[in-house]
Amino acid sequence: MFLTIHTNDDRPIYQQVVDGIKELIARGELAEGTPLPPVRQLAADLGVNLNTIAAAYRELQKDGLITVRHGSGSVVASRTTTERDRSELLRPLRAALTELVLAGLKPSRILKIVVQELRLVTKGNR
Amino acid sequence: MSPYLMLTLVFIFCVGVRVRGCFRRWRQPLLRGPEWFFNVQVKPDFYNGAGRATLQRYRAIMLLPVAVEALLAVAIFFSGRLIYLSLLIIAISGVIHINHLFNVERAERKARNFAEPEAGQPVSAMVLSLTPRRLSDYSNPWAERFIVLVSLAAFAWLLRYYLHSNGTLSSRVVFGLPVLLLYNQMGFLFVKYGIVAWRMPIPQAQAEEHLRAREEARKLHLKVCDWCRILITLELASFATVLTIAPALRPKVITGYWVMLFAGVGVLAVRHEKGRLAVVKANLRARPMKMPDFFHVESSARLLCYQPATPMLLIKGAHGYALNLANRLTQLGAAYLAGLIALFAILRMGH
Repeated sequence: MFLTIHTNDDRPIYQQVVDGIKELIARGELAEGTPLPPVRQLAADLGVNLNTIAAAYRELQKDGLITVRHGSGSVVASRTTTERDRSELLRPLRAALTELVLAGLKPSRILKIVVQELRLVTKGNR
Repeated sequence: MSPYLMLTLVFIFCVGVRVRGCFRRWRQPLLRGPEWFFNVQVKPDFYNGAGRATLQRYRAIMLLPVAVEALLAVAIFFSGRLIYLSLLIIAISGVIHINHLFNVERAERKARNFAEPEAGQPVSAMVLSLTPRRLSDYSNPWAERFIVLVSLAAFAWLLRYYLHSNGTLSSRVVFGLPVLLLYNQMGFLFVKYGIVAWRMPIPQAQAEEHLRAREEARKLHLKVCDWCRILITLELASFATVLTIAPALRPKVITGYWVMLFAGVGVLAVRHEKGRLAVVKANLRARPMKMPDFFHVESSARLLCYQPATPMLLIKGAHGYALNLANRLTQLGAAYLAGLIALFAILRMGH
């Protein structure tokens, strides 16, 4: 199970780690209960500050995607434990759809893009 | 078999290993081909120019500890104090490895001045393995059970022997060496922990090859640690046996033990060589790449530094690498050495 980090990506490293792990969870490659490496291991492999990976794990924990158990490490949380409400989850989707409408795309085209992207996120056929 | 004969045989065996190591390290810079110097891709005329001197200097420094060992061994043989041979073998083994690490680092640094321009560019993407690396994943349960059971049995046997001696035996004589062996056992476990925790940056290009090469190397090193732990356990068991049997039987048992030990070490040396060749093959399949420096902090310290937020044991500095005193491995290593010194002191003072 690999996570790719790009040096020329505009996102900070911690965000790339968060997004990468989220993608793997969404695709089902990181199943519920799968243990994640300790912060120290990831930080050492990447050669970054411990706080960078700790911040990524904190964000994933805040989103309810991982559970941090002191002493035994972090594991991928159950998907049903996500407590974010519907409006909060829909906000980024609405923003993205607004951007596409403003870019002049027709609703049928936007729908096609959304279906395509959803397939990519869940199946990982990138 | 007299102890001196045993030491001489061990020394001859070690000379063989040293000669093999020298040949291997002699060829190591050119293993990837004439366009490479270790893991640095150099310009085509490198070995006709500055590269020749760099290569010669690397080889001279590589041979230095072996030459020192040869001189000291001659002196020891002439003085007749062969007991110092064992200390010489252990000390020079450590010196050879440390010298090689620094020698390769220094030679590669020199060669980078003559590297192909594109070879100096770090990769733009790297991959992280999300599989946790734990010591238990790299442990053989049968070997662990064997070590624990034999060690416990040996200590129980020695305790029984000591209690039945009614105070005629010194506790240092009975338990001194076993405690030291047990401490060595802990030391090898610590080394295993360090090998498992050692960082593993992998470039996105050829990720599978790089991962395989690093895993092969990691597994071989861990296997060698386990072999050493098993040999220590056998040493503990043989000590308990030799101490508690009738004195008339001791020479035969000791000779039998040494013959078995030599045979065992010979088999392990062959297996190690096979494993090492597999590691070399895997390494050659993975093209060396410069990894990006995300940390961007260079320690200005020469040898030691203290950076709690940095997970690395060694931090690249302006003058080479500096040992991070805030790292858990450094602290455990220091505690281990302090414990070893304390143990030696206690064993020297104790009754």
